[in-house]
Amino acid sequence: MILTGLLARALQMSTPLMIGSLAEVFAERTGVMIIAIEGIFLLGAWGGFVGAYLSGNLFLGLLFAMFVGTCVAAIYGVMTIKLKQHQIVTGTAINIFAVGIGLYLYRVLFGVPLLPLTVDPLRNIPLPFLSRIPIIGEAFFTQNILTYIALLLMPIGCWILFRTRLGLIIRSTGENPEAVDSAGLNVEKVRLLTVLAAGAMDGLAGAFYSIGFLGLYTNDIIGGRGWIAFAICFLGNWNPMGAFLGALVFGLADATAIVIQTSGFKLIPNEFLIAIPYILTIIATISRKHFNVPAVLGTPYIKERK
Amino acid sequence: MNGMGQMDKTNHDENTTLEERMKNRDGKGWLILWPLLSVFLGLFSSGMMMLLLGHNPIHVYWDMVNFAFRDIYNIADIFAKATPLILTGLAFGFAFRSTLFNIGAQGQFYMGCVAAVFCALNLKGLPSLIVLVVCLSASVILGGLWGSLVGFAKAKFNANEFLISMMSTYVALAIMNYLLRGPLIEMKGEYPQTDVIPESSWIPSLLPHTRLHWGFIIALLAAFFAYFILWRTTLGFKIRAVGMNRNAARYAGIDSRKIFVIVFLISGGFAGLAGFMEVNGIQHMLVQGFNPLIGAEGIGIAILGNAHPFGIVLSAILFGALKVGGNLVVQTSTIPSSIIGIMEGFVMLFVILSYYIQDRISVSRSKRQLKAKERGGHK
Repeated sequence: MILTGLLARALQMSTPLMIGSLAEVFAERTGVMIIAIEGIFLLGAWGGFVGAYLSGNLFLGLLFAMFVGTCVAAIYGVMTIKLKQHQIVTGTAINIFAVGIGLYLYRVLFGVPLLPLTVDPLRNIPLPFLSRIPIIGEAFFTQNILTYIALLLMPIGCWILFRTRLGLIIRSTGENPEAVDSAGLNVEKVRLLTVLAAGAMDGLAGAFYSIGFLGLYTNDIIGGRGWIAFAICFLGNWNPMGAFLGALVFGLADATAIVIQTSGFKLIPNEFLIAIPYILTIIATISRKHFNVPAVLGTPYIKERK
Repeated sequence: MNGMGQMDKTNHDENTTLEERMKNRDGKGWLILWPLLSVFLGLFSSGMMMLLLGHNPIHVYWDMVNFAFRDIYNIADIFAKATPLILTGLAFGFAFRSTLFNIGAQGQFYMGCVAAVFCALNLKGLPSLIVLVVCLSASVILGGLWGSLVGFAKAKFNANEFLISMMSTYVALAIMNYLLRGPLIEMKGEYPQTDVIPESSWIPSLLPHTRLHWGFIIALLAAFFAYFILWRTTLGFKIRAVGMNRNAARYAGIDSRKIFVIVFLISGGFAGLAGFMEVNGIQHMLVQGFNPLIGAEGIGIAILGNAHPFGIVLSAILFGALKVGGNLVVQTSTIPSSIIGIMEGFVMLFVILSYYIQDRISVSRSKRQLKAKERGGHK
């Protein structure tokens, strides 16, 4: 019973990390780090909640979250790709801005409610047959729709990146933009479009936190999870399968913390459990020696100035 | 070839305009114009946001200015608010001069808070001056050591300092929360906070009946210290050389790994000192959820201030004024306090845009000069 609960929780907690880190893998393969990921997660959570609350439809909430994510990614993309400003600095600015604007627009829309507003979160959909497998059936196949989407996205992402022409373009843009340019493709366009798509995915990942299981929006709802997705992309060696494994490990750490907290086991302080994913990131970053970093990661593409 | 090193190289060898701008300070008088314009546009856009809640931005800003400069208490409060911001701004700006990203000032600040409050609570009955010196040193040392761990990870394992410093903040937060719930909890044991520290450990005030304390002077000295180190010592030369071009620095015999540790030690020390300022100067206790944005605001301040210590002091005072005026407007009207964050965010974004425009202007100027020269050559 505990095992089933733990595995189910682990898969649940790793869902947004999978989507977010896959998005980051694609963007970074073109040479753009989405430092604004934490802010996009946050505004995605905001968009998901607002969309769902106002329309009364969770699906519209998810769509709105993707739209918001794309918009924020567009600001970030234009500033870093077209205007060639520094990615870390721009991303940090957007992250600060996201905290303020999310809370402010919440207030604009809803005033100051006495109780926090809630929506019914996404329901779990047991898959026929598969969910009846003992232990793992209930853990892996009784999840909400976003988890299934995430699980489908990982192999699709792998396929696109390594087996299609599009994937080749994406990878080349991060390794040798000059070659992509001389092949007649527009480097900035490839990057911008990838960043927009990644923004939509990050928005969806953020919405998982607001309407995927809590059903409400608060300003600290993400609490660094965006950074963890960012880290997983590094640790997974810019490979969708690596990101998938990383997300599972972090989901398990998160779930273990929650399970131990709720079980009333007092020997380990709560705070230590909360810190586990972050400590894990530090250890993994330190111990990882051989990285396969896209060659021009973090560098704007500058054609010869005429 | 180790990939992370490769990334670092491309990060600062290539043409990243912002960094170039921030590092080229060949004192053009109108360089101050751009930050001012960015601030104006940032406040203008925030004003548009106020319209959404049906507030007239002109009235709001007028109130803000009136509130902030209403009496000596509020004017002094601007500088009191600026004090820790100068230090977290330095924490980012100092490392940025070496093209290192210290995103973890928040955690280093928490470590400084913990050290300061621990010393203050345990040194009852000692003369005030001794207690203050011990608290100050403890906060600088603990903040610095916490920061230097990031530098060490970078030097020893070639880890990405951006990620590690980011994550270290969450670990520091967990440590502080644990200490507040356990060993450091108040006598009553009711809330996760410490007791009020004894009055002998309060930083004496600079102006009577205001919150402005001597810490402001110390923060100014810290900014001068940063300037002195960076531009007047060999160490500073090495730090900036590593920032400009790591390979060139290596050929010049500079061990950049040592520089990483030193830079993060000093940066963390600044952020830790901010903890001393807030605990011993303003709050006189430590509570959970203490100043959660001070690190991020430091980044904004450092960018607005061109990552130069004196620019950082000026921008910190501006942010202090926004906070004081903003808080009073928020208290006296229905505008939510998140407007302050929006103002800060907009200002940052416009500062970054202004770097782009400055770059364009300088490119087109050099193009014109080139053309003029060509024409001259043909004659």
